[in-house]
Amino acid sequence: MNILVFTKRVPATQEEELRILGDGKEVDLSKLPFKVNDWDNYAVEEAVRIAEKTGGTVTAISIGDAESDEVLRRAIAMGVKDGFLIEVEKVLQDPYARAMLAYNFLKKENIPFDTILTGVQSEDDQFASVGGILAALLKVPYSSMVIGIDNVENDHLILRRELEGGLQERVKVMLPSVLSIQSGINEPRYVSIMGVRKASKVERKVFKAKDYEESMSSLIEVVKWVYPLKKGGATMLSGELEEICKQILGIIKEKGVYQ
Amino acid sequence: MSCALIVGEVRRGIFEERNLDTIGISSLLGKETCLLIPDNAYTISEKQVDTIIKVKTDEEAFLNPLNLVGIVEQAMNTYGKPDFVLFTHSSSGMESAAYLSGSFGLPLITDVSGYDKDTGAFYKSYYSDKIFGEFRCVGQAPYVLTVRSGSFKEFVAEKATSPKIEFIENVAVNTSRTFIEYVEEEKTEIDITKAEFLLSVGRGIGNKDEIPNYEELAGLLRAVLSGSRPVIDKMWLPKPRQVGTSGKTVKPKVYLAMGISGAFQHIAGMKDSDCIIAVNKDAGAPIFQYAHYGIVADMHKVRDKLKEMVKG
Repeated sequence: MNILVFTKRVPATQEEELRILGDGKEVDLSKLPFKVNDWDNYAVEEAVRIAEKTGGTVTAISIGDAESDEVLRRAIAMGVKDGFLIEVEKVLQDPYARAMLAYNFLKKENIPFDTILTGVQSEDDQFASVGGILAALLKVPYSSMVIGIDNVENDHLILRRELEGGLQERVKVMLPSVLSIQSGINEPRYVSIMGVRKASKVERKVFKAKDYEESMSSLIEVVKWVYPLKKGGATMLSGELEEICKQILGIIKEKGVYQ
Repeated sequence: MSCALIVGEVRRGIFEERNLDTIGISSLLGKETCLLIPDNAYTISEKQVDTIIKVKTDEEAFLNPLNLVGIVEQAMNTYGKPDFVLFTHSSSGMESAAYLSGSFGLPLITDVSGYDKDTGAFYKSYYSDKIFGEFRCVGQAPYVLTVRSGSFKEFVAEKATSPKIEFIENVAVNTSRTFIEYVEEEKTEIDITKAEFLLSVGRGIGNKDEIPNYEELAGLLRAVLSGSRPVIDKMWLPKPRQVGTSGKTVKPKVYLAMGISGAFQHIAGMKDSDCIIAVNKDAGAPIFQYAHYGIVADMHKVRDKLKEMVKG
């Protein structure tokens, strides 16, 4: 089975304070570390597991700047065979434009596939849309929130989708298809720095986004960036650790759940 | 028609409460509200929408994005092109909205949690709610939005008359994706929805070896240990202990959140707790916006001190 998996390099913002620059026109990401998008890590792992089971191959594709080569090397270290970088000059905010770029690339370069995997969403823009738009452009079936692939056959997959409240649904999807992979589907394998260095020796191909821009105009645009509106907000407890913990115990006693 | 076409989310015979947010934003947008649902006896308030289009199909086929695209197209051909097509930002809504956008080249903004009537801008979260983007659509309508649960239900306006009922029949069923069955979560002895005091741990816990330390603290405090998605994904705690939209919705008397930054999917599952206490070393963590009490500190140090004090 030929599997393509999209992987994206994103800023690690979990514990970082973010600043908006220049009248809301830009978010300052200059001092942030970057990493592979969490959901894509699960998608790469799942792709490699399917290939290991079925004897197929996996190609990782990244849309991003030259630095995105880093996530391709990581994917190769996890067991992916090839890496393709579609190098863009500026960030594409519109998921439709990103999906159209991917679609044009696959068509123009005549890349064969049985299934395409993406992460459910990316940590930065959280659109959760590129996989679905790409599937529609390719006119193939789509499933998102995939939390389990129970069966892989030549012409179809049996998979589980995560719904709300702990419920899942099992569906049959014919191939070729596009799937968006939910976190928790597997335990992504550990990749050592040595492994990533070794993967550097595997050739990655670089393509320029400008060669695939047909029908790629954005359908939405960002007017500006803003900080979240302050809601009620917490009463912040401060002081020495012992004093803070005393206050916590006082609160839970007052609520009657601890004596 | 100048309206908002709402794709109603129904699951196992229930008209999901999050539909109120799509109905609410359509009121805010000043549009007539046209609700698309499978033809079933769902309990919805009679006067919340202007028109209900009942689709002669079962709900699993209706929620399949491959069929839904055809259903929306049929609705547009029969009743005219709407200004908006609205979905809930859920497992089903995210899937179908993207497929619809790709099928017809429609502008799409997902996870919309705010709207500015004066500028026409939609607000959407970036970087786990640390920054928001003000977006506008520049392509041809209808604009496709997925709407964050809990963001607009307060704007649901009662209509003067009961809704007009229309029907769509002869729906084409695509067989390249088919529903097989629902899979229920395994039943466990501990039901976190019944606990009065939950100690919940998140990504900040760092590694699996720390779990027993928090189990011990929970035991000392007579709390039940639960977790946010990253902890469950790594299988450090079992799935039935997950708090959030894909796990359980809880309303304990006290919710002590340690090392949880507060993704909206988690917040949606615990925001109605009577008292929320959050411990996080990132002062900018979104959970502090929802907590009643906040502590900016290393969760492990707080844990050790609490243990020491409780043990006396």
